[in-house]
Amino acid sequence: MPELGPPPKSQSQSAPAPGNPARAAGPGAAARRPKIVGFLCDWAVSAEGIVREDGTMRDLPNVTLIKVPCSGFIRPSWLEFALKNGADGTFVCGCPLGDCFNRLGNNLIQDRVAQMRRRLERQKIQPDRVGTIYYGLREQEQFVAAVREFSDRVAQLPAPPPPPPARRPAGVSPATPADGSPSGPTPAPEEP
Amino acid sequence: MYRRLLASLLRWTLRLDVGINRVYPADFNPLYYTGGLSNLFLTILILSGLFLFFYYVPSYNEAYTTVQYISERVPYGQIIRGIHRYSADGFMIVILLHFFRNWFTERFRFSRDEPWISGMMLLVFAGFIGVTGYVLVWDQRAELLVVMTGNALAAIPAVGGWLRNLLFGGPGLTNLLLPRMLFLHVGPAVLLYVLLWWHYVRLRHPKVWPPAVWTLFSLGVVLLLSGLIPAASQPQASPTTPPRQLAVDWLFLLPYVSLKYLTPLWLIVLATVIIVYGLYIPYQLPETRAEMGLRESGIAQVIDANCTGCELSYYDCPYNAIVMAPSPHPGVTKAAQARKLLAIVLESRCVECGICIGACPFEALELPHFLEQDVQAKVLTACRS
Ligand code: HEM
Ligand code: SF4
Repeated sequence: MPELGPPPKSQSQSAPAPGNPARAAGPGAAARRPKIVGFLCDWAVSAEGIVREDGTMRDLPNVTLIKVPCSGFIRPSWLEFALKNGADGTFVCGCPLGDCFNRLGNNLIQDRVAQMRRRLERQKIQPDRVGTIYYGLREQEQFVAAVREFSDRVAQLPAPPPPPPARRPAGVSPATPADGSPSGPTPAPEEP
Repeated sequence: MYRRLLASLLRWTLRLDVGINRVYPADFNPLYYTGGLSNLFLTILILSGLFLFFYYVPSYNEAYTTVQYISERVPYGQIIRGIHRYSADGFMIVILLHFFRNWFTERFRFSRDEPWISGMMLLVFAGFIGVTGYVLVWDQRAELLVVMTGNALAAIPAVGGWLRNLLFGGPGLTNLLLPRMLFLHVGPAVLLYVLLWWHYVRLRHPKVWPPAVWTLFSLGVVLLLSGLIPAASQPQASPTTPPRQLAVDWLFLLPYVSLKYLTPLWLIVLATVIIVYGLYIPYQLPETRAEMGLRESGIAQVIDANCTGCELSYYDCPYNAIVMAPSPHPGVTKAAQARKLLAIVLESRCVECGICIGACPFEALELPHFLEQDVQAKVLTACRS
């Protein structure tokens, strides 16, 4: 499943404790702060109060949110673009499944991300670096908790292999030879 | 004030959703399927209505007896009659839910006015069909409804009396009354399907049915109710014992109850104002709330040079706003050169959601106020910071 698992249910009302136990796992995991880029549907969780001026999240400064008109607007290639340019993980947040303001957007992005994860696997990038989560306008607490969980999970992944040669972003076109026509800016070197 | 009210109604709608999502998986939240539930109840109504139609005789003397005959003699007649009545109530409940939900969550925005306007008409006709249905039974309630409607119509200046005669086939209770009511019950029910075509024409994959659990649940509730509380008539209508009291079905007969407090003319004015306002809702100026920063991303544009005619956006646009036309000339990029088709955005249908952008792997679509390069620039600053 491409999701981050079900939203935290019963305990979700109380604010998640900052010292999340998940954080303790894995040697050195807590030390590294993964860089995360999140795409946030404008109709889903309200960014009010959880985002700073520069787009980073107040509670999780390693996470930058980019607002988009609908989660279905996101091209999976942008997620790949983020990964190749130094992000350790990217996620998409849409409205709860079934409640997309534009009817189908979040279902579509779910499928597209699922496809993309398979593609990443073939490129030897851990598919867990991309994820989808779904929260409504007022579910800020749960959203922050889910992002924290995602960030922790990404932190525990082993360091990514050196970036593969750039390809055309989507798998639809026949795979061009790696040195054929790289599209988009050349990937920046991964941070240590 | 009004805006604040709507904002808090939205908040409560979403809060209710969250509550329900705690109990059910989100894909089964019945509030996400109010349209499908309406369609379900409408289908039950049509099927049970067909059954009743075989027995019903719309004449002044026989109508009441045929309805009694259905209840008492026809095998399972009582049950079917109950199903018809209770699913009518269910229908009204779910279309009101559908209406309020779409209203509070602003699902009438941009070019979604077509489902909204057709929806308003569906709502008005559904109410009307309900009232004519209660007249068909021709018990004392029916007679009272006819008298009250007649008085209300007569209160309209100038055309009132004429309207009443048109509706009832003449002054007073005539032989034409019940055939007319039967026609006005069945005719608009058929009209609902015409309106539904209009309702769906711009929606791709409308969720016409609720999940099976909710279909079974609704059927179960309706069956249970019709078994437990048999749908009954009141005493037969007769000119000698004029009816006194209105036995109320709150969902359909609310306007008649309000006649206790309003003069007929005021009721008609009020109803007109409500309906006209309802039709006007989608044309209110959109308001950009602080937390909803990005609206007006602009109508999606096809980048002719890149379009390969692959139809992916055509399949994914939720509002059927993309059509594929025979391509007048080849595209520019390598992938686009052999294309047979070209995507075209029908501007009047586009809701500016950008879902087609996500669908298109060839960078052949864009939202004018939200270009791919802007997104990539934002990603880069985020990664580099
Ligand atoms: C006979 C009654 C009705 C039926 C069977 C019905 C059915 C439906 C269905 C199946 C959908 C598609 C939902 C989806 O796939 O997400 C829909 C959408 C819609 N309906 Fe209705 N509806 C009815 C009455 C109404 C009424 C009374 C209104 C409000 C005035 C209304 C307003 C809308 C709107 C605005 C949409 C578009 C929602 C969107 O684009 O997200 N409908 N309806
Ligand atoms: S933005 Fe694209 S997907 Fe959305 S309604 Fe317009 S054409 Fe359809």
